[in-house]
Amino acid sequence: MPDTPILQVENLSKFFPVQRGLLRRTVGHVKAVNDVTFTVNKGECLGLVGESGCGKTTVARCLLRLVEPDQGRILLHGERQTFDIASASRKEMLDVRRQMQIIFQDPFSSLDPRWRVTDVIAEPLMAQKIGRGEAGRRVLDILPTVGLGPHFADRFPHELSGGERQRVSIARALIVSPPLVVADEPVSALDVSVRSQIINLLLDLQSQMNLTYVFIAHDLSIVKHISHRIAVMYLGRLVELGTTQQVFEECKHPYTKALLASVLVPDPTHREQSYVLEGEVPSPLNPPSGCHFSTRCPFAQEQCSAEEPDLRDMGDGHWVRCHFAEELDLSEEIFAPQFDTPTASN
Amino acid sequence: MPDSQPILEVHDLHVHFKMLAGIVRAVDGVDFTVERGRCLGIVGESGCGKSVTARSILRLLPSSDTRGQILYHPDGDDEPIDLVSLDAKGDAIRAIRGKDIAMIFQEPMTSLTPVYTIGEQIMESIRQHQDLSEEEAQNLAISMLNKVGIPDAERRFGDYPHQMSGGMRQRVMIAIALCCEPRVLIADEPTTALDVTIQAQILRLIRSLQQDMDMSVIMITHDLSVIAQLADFVVVMYLGQMAEKAPVVELFQDPKHPYTQALLRSIVRPDTPPREQLHSISGSVPDPRNAPSGCRFRNRCPSVHDRCVEDPPVVEFGPQHSATCWLYVDE
Repeated sequence: MPDTPILQVENLSKFFPVQRGLLRRTVGHVKAVNDVTFTVNKGECLGLVGESGCGKTTVARCLLRLVEPDQGRILLHGERQTFDIASASRKEMLDVRRQMQIIFQDPFSSLDPRWRVTDVIAEPLMAQKIGRGEAGRRVLDILPTVGLGPHFADRFPHELSGGERQRVSIARALIVSPPLVVADEPVSALDVSVRSQIINLLLDLQSQMNLTYVFIAHDLSIVKHISHRIAVMYLGRLVELGTTQQVFEECKHPYTKALLASVLVPDPTHREQSYVLEGEVPSPLNPPSGCHFSTRCPFAQEQCSAEEPDLRDMGDGHWVRCHFAEELDLSEEIFAPQFDTPTASN
Repeated sequence: MPDSQPILEVHDLHVHFKMLAGIVRAVDGVDFTVERGRCLGIVGESGCGKSVTARSILRLLPSSDTRGQILYHPDGDDEPIDLVSLDAKGDAIRAIRGKDIAMIFQEPMTSLTPVYTIGEQIMESIRQHQDLSEEEAQNLAISMLNKVGIPDAERRFGDYPHQMSGGMRQRVMIAIALCCEPRVLIADEPTTALDVTIQAQILRLIRSLQQDMDMSVIMITHDLSVIAQLADFVVVMYLGQMAEKAPVVELFQDPKHPYTQALLRSIVRPDTPPREQLHSISGSVPDPRNAPSGCRFRNRCPSVHDRCVEDPPVVEFGPQHSATCWLYVDE
């Protein structure tokens, strides 16, 4: 796959003011997204991972301009022209939204309960000033693509199961044939047996319609399965970016390592891996000085709390934000065993 | 390793709710035994009845129609107590609830009251069951907070729940549950609302406390990875019925029920080839009011057969391994 960028995010920042007291004075800022830079290539799936509060959802919302970014550029390379989403006018945003759509996490709250499925799916077409008759035809065309029969068109969301609702959300995103889709935790609210159906559907649609995904999730095994490249965030900053292989097998940031080590393995004979990261994510209102991860990092040294590390290129498109990325030995041995392994006899 | 002595036995448990739309058979014929010092995992998807089973052990579902036996064996040679026969609001169950059998709920945000400090909430549970002075109770509460890994426990004692993070609140829930040194701890999705790094911390905490206090744990979850990491013995439930029960290694290596097999195949493992189609189970969990007759999994089952319209038999595969399925019965 030739690496043609479709989306370039440059130095994106979003600070939310924190106001206190009777006069609502601004006492500080939550740096939800702080100087984030990444590129998404055509046809790929970029996974965005991190713990709650790391800013991954805020990045998604900035990309769609559902919240206004404070700084930076978001360049969308459309078929005919390039838009800067961060500064686009209302009229330009109409074009942008034809090329970029979002699937939300919770299929129970992201569908209006008073609207029929057909109206939900057709809403982006209405926004694009497409007539009702044409819109209705296109809704009936897209239903089988997401695995729903035509009889679903006249149903209301409460008549659908979680998996069916998420299929409706996917249809709503795809109805304008956007080349780029942002999926914000699209499967976390679903039952285990339905989750794999939706993952399969997203994979199928990507190859059929040549889609590009920005896939946000906290479930690392799913992100690993679906993504070509992965970006790891911690407290508003990008700490590691690379191919799935680089991030999962050759990770160079201690936070990525800890995150990967805390994934539970679905195998009762392997109970020893889990390394447990001590402490919790610090408040984004008052993040630690220097490297934000220094307070929880097992390798932290003086330099870490004094100086903020830059995101540095380690070669082959592998970017790491750590002073000691070259020196650290993140091999398995340093991680203490957690549980005893049961034997087959019990 | 402790002897396999039962501490809790559930026999043929049925819990039905009368609704306007009809009777919901939330739990329909569940049998299992919890052994002393061991962890029993109950796994299933939403609506499978796992939480209802847990709550019925503590008699927290007074408006339901509960039948069957839940035998609790207290320490010593006393006769077992049938919890189902107790008055749900009576003194007998209140003496057991929170003292001998304690529970951690899924959502630490809603199960702590916002108007009392966490210290007061721990002390309430202590003084309900133990005859201690205010000061002794306070010391015990602070030592419990230390034990569950809350830093600076003396100061956090006066905090309100909203001043704490989700992981810290779940630790407080665990401290409340453990302050009377229960024999059985029921954990209902204790880590579902938490991040992966915090989940690993909480599971390690439950595991080490279980060993220190020689406590039995019932771990209720939808996550097979949690089961694989913690449980000794597993019950798989689907729509109120027990699909399969087995020791954990046997369940993962040799699942018998088509539902267990499909669930295990559908999860992403470290060695799953990237971007390939995952195995999936067709359809979705039906509304429990319209559950199919006979085997409730039959309209999603890849091995469905004519016989499945009738109630499936329990087939034994070993002393502790059984599945409720027609597949293993010759015609």
